[in-house]
Amino acid sequence: MRGYLSPPIEVLKLARLIGAEAEDIAYFERLDGQAIRDLRDQVTVVMFDADRQLLQRVAAATKLIPAKLGAVIGERAFGALLCARITGLLDPNRAVDIAKHLPVKFLADLCLHLDPRRASRVIGAMPPATVGAIAAELVAGEEYITMGGFVGHLSKAALLAALDVVDDQSLLLTAYVIEAKQNIGALVALLPEERLEDIIATASSADLWTEALDVLGHVSERQRGVLGDLAAGQADEVLDSMVRAAQRDGLWSEVLPVVRAMSPTSRERFAKLNSIQTRPVLATIIDAGTRDSLWAELLVLLPLLPPAARREVAALATSFDRQVFEQIIAAAYEEDLWPALIAFAGELDKGPRQEIAKLIDQSDGAVLESLLSAVDDTGLEAELVAVLGELSAAGQRRLGTRIAAAPAGLLAAITEAAAAAGLEPLTEALTK
Amino acid sequence: MSQAAATDRILKLELGGVVPGGLEGLTEEELSGVATLLRVAKQRQSEELEEAVDEALEIVPRLLRRPVRKILFG
Repeated sequence: MRGYLSPPIEVLKLARLIGAEAEDIAYFERLDGQAIRDLRDQVTVVMFDADRQLLQRVAAATKLIPAKLGAVIGERAFGALLCARITGLLDPNRAVDIAKHLPVKFLADLCLHLDPRRASRVIGAMPPATVGAIAAELVAGEEYITMGGFVGHLSKAALLAALDVVDDQSLLLTAYVIEAKQNIGALVALLPEERLEDIIATASSADLWTEALDVLGHVSERQRGVLGDLAAGQADEVLDSMVRAAQRDGLWSEVLPVVRAMSPTSRERFAKLNSIQTRPVLATIIDAGTRDSLWAELLVLLPLLPPAARREVAALATSFDRQVFEQIIAAAYEEDLWPALIAFAGELDKGPRQEIAKLIDQSDGAVLESLLSAVDDTGLEAELVAVLGELSAAGQRRLGTRIAAAPAGLLAAITEAAAAAGLEPLTEALTK
Repeated sequence: MSQAAATDRILKLELGGVVPGGLEGLTEEELSGVATLLRVAKQRQSEELEEAVDEALEIVPRLLRRPVRKILFG
């Protein structure tokens, strides 16, 4: 979902810009959302350029008349669309003065036609109370796309005023269509914890998990963790509804990064949810993780599952091909998740465990060094040896020779574990 | 000039000489439709703007009408 522009939403924005009905240009929905956005940007330029000279003169003429008269002329003669074209050409203070004399309904209509990027300074200068009143009007008209375009241009005080009047459901729907997704983090940062909890509860009760998870995909890792913990603090029913939505709408690739960002306690609670324990759900989770290279996310979750679910995962792993195991090893190395990998490998059937052992045997020096260092730090020598025990005698000797270069203390611990496990070829190679 | 080249030329004209990429998925007829919608939208905007300016001058107090007219029309 990250960076994704929805074709139907982009079509709606384009239609509004050229004064057409969305149905008239519905064929655009076949295109990539970005292509529609690029076209809209160019159309915006030509629509402004078409009458630029006269628009600029009108903007200049407003300086000669009182603001109140400017408002009357704007409302009566020009209307919302033409006023929107002129807004960005006005001096921000002048625009604010004129806006003071315009009805909120008219300002909200004007917003529907305004290109916020061309009127950023004017928007930034708008008093918070006016912004709040316009936001309330836009919410009443369900104009979420318009509201989404303004985030990133409003002052902090104006954003707070808008957040005060926008209900949780509207806020989720707006955040989903926000134009500048990079601003979602700043928006979330303005919301107190209680409000965030309410929003999560709304995502569940109004079935808006697609929207909520999209928001979670655009915040910082720290914020994702905080929001994930708040979600994990809610009733089972809330989390179960997220699992159902993820399963139904293919959202696991959005859910898994949230689970990873949670605190260990929250993650443990998520892993114990009854709703994720079924084989179809586990299979979908693993498919999503494999398809979108989210094995780092899976490695921190899978060992926390209850034993029966871990056995299901082990059964599913028997059908993994070599590429999947390569992904798993790469995730463990790149994200420093060796203890999680060792725990995961320990749960697997002989075949999959052997694949992991072989990949460790074939790994380059940096990977092996990183694995051994993690084993040394966590005291998982016996668990590592249990995985390596799946190697052939030749494999054990080959890998043992490489491990023999490890620091003395670690080498002694691995050797002891190998001897205890009765792995003679490995033990011999380690003591040579 | 082929029909496709003609459509492309018209669209380019309506878009100020810049046709962004990614429109390859549209048929010639659809592209032609877009060009028409754009032309109509620009025409409508120009007409509405001119009408609005005339109407505005009616509203502006007589005393200010001359300087305002000067700014608008030179």
